[in-house]
Amino acid sequence: MAPLPDRSTRGNGFPVRPPGKRDREDKGEPDPALEGNIASAGELEPGDRVVYPNQGVCRVLGLEQKDIAGQRLEFVKLTREEDGASVLVPLQKVATIGLRRVASADQIEGVFHYLGASYDDPELDWKVRHRDNVERLIAGGVLGVAEVVKGLHSLARLRPLPAKERELYDGSRHLLVSEVAVSLGIPATIAEDYIDYALMPPAGVKLPLKPPPKPVELKGPPWKRKKPVSEEDDLGLEDLGLDLGSLEGEEPAAENAEGAAGEGAERTETASAGEEAVATPRPARPAKPEKKAARPPVAEKERKKAPKAHPKKAAKKPAPRNAAKKPAKAKPAKPPKKASGGKRK
Amino acid sequence: MIRIVTLAPFDEGDIAFLTRTLYRSFGVGTEHVGERALPKTAERADGRFDAVKLLDDAPPVRAFADDKVVYLTDVELSIPKGPLGEPPAWGFAVQGGERCLVSTFRFPPRGVSESSIEVFRRRLARECTHFVGHLWDLHHCYDPRCAMHPSWSPSLAADPEHDLDAFCREKSERRIRLAKT
Repeated sequence: MAPLPDRSTRGNGFPVRPPGKRDREDKGEPDPALEGNIASAGELEPGDRVVYPNQGVCRVLGLEQKDIAGQRLEFVKLTREEDGASVLVPLQKVATIGLRRVASADQIEGVFHYLGASYDDPELDWKVRHRDNVERLIAGGVLGVAEVVKGLHSLARLRPLPAKERELYDGSRHLLVSEVAVSLGIPATIAEDYIDYALMPPAGVKLPLKPPPKPVELKGPPWKRKKPVSEEDDLGLEDLGLDLGSLEGEEPAAENAEGAAGEGAERTETASAGEEAVATPRPARPAKPEKKAARPPVAEKERKKAPKAHPKKAAKKPAPRNAAKKPAKAKPAKPPKKASGGKRK
Repeated sequence: MIRIVTLAPFDEGDIAFLTRTLYRSFGVGTEHVGERALPKTAERADGRFDAVKLLDDAPPVRAFADDKVVYLTDVELSIPKGPLGEPPAWGFAVQGGERCLVSTFRFPPRGVSESSIEVFRRRLARECTHFVGHLWDLHHCYDPRCAMHPSWSPSLAADPEHDLDAFCREKSERRIRLAKT
């Protein structure tokens, strides 16, 4: 087994300093999840302690070459401290598997403040929860592991965990305990006592908590990400006293109004005087009741013609709902306001 | 085999109840080795005993591979202070190791009535099951009815259960089956 190449040598293809790290430092935006990540095998030396995601704390032994399927491949050989199991990581994959250094004391302190902070909003959708937890364990660093433990712990307060999640909870707790123990240099049972002291302090004890570090931002592909509850969903129409149910019935009219408003806007651009611009869009508004009045018979006809098609149409209903929101967004562009602004000028 | 070593005088009935409970919990033979002297080297200036050092200095007993040794004491224990303070120490165990220490200092008083003695025994059995569970690589459990729930938890009942829940029991059984002997 050969020792790992010297950090200062570039000839073997190991950069002295990982480019990713340099970029982050130049931007001045350190990502807590990426702190301590191993970007290339050149950063490793025999005897280093690293954390392999989902495996725990490992010790680097060195480089090893193996002939596999007629190819000579190089591996970084690690040994898991917990049970001495050997782990071989292909040299090219060192940067992509999420290998990282054991968390520093500062990071661990942040973890405890995170664990001690109040958290009453566990993810209830099991698919989203499972996906996030798996991603956090791989790419979230020690804080990601703590998030999994805390999230599942708070969920367990609401209801018993299913078998798979119970195993995940136990596994992530094991990873967290072993990393805290290694980082602070204490026995594992005491590390677990510290963790549970933060998670469920004894009655009457107030923990000296500081603001917890920001949770890890998951960087999966966008189609995998959970849709955040955006402000678009809550337009504050209820505060204005508008009934959304009645607006849904006016969807085509709203589209028409939007089109009319758009046309009106075009006209205002072409018009020279502000007063004309005020006058042009207003005739478009009476179109609403006409369409609204015309719609129910059409819908009734469709129901009579094709009753089987209704479920599909009902399923497609959310699409026009967005269309109904568009006019609300376009409101500021309405000609009367522009015109009034023009008058003021 | 689980071997119990007392570092203070204990009632025979309490030890008998404990051996029965540990046998039922883990399915492993349990015996009381005898009483040994408490190592004073672990005593701190404040009168408490350093749990880690006490277990290190505890008198060795003859044991075979995969045997677990439980030391029982009645002195107040302490563990190193953590980032958020010092958790109350009810005992100490080496995770996946061979020896653990349990203190009755924080237990409800044994008293002389049948009910108080029963509560004391159940608590003794619960704490010993908890720390022997650590020796079989079990972690703390979120279920307050499980013996692996943290001993200081506010959700723990005054007279808690001394059995393991299904997950912890299965895990410990798996570990015991994988043991060399």
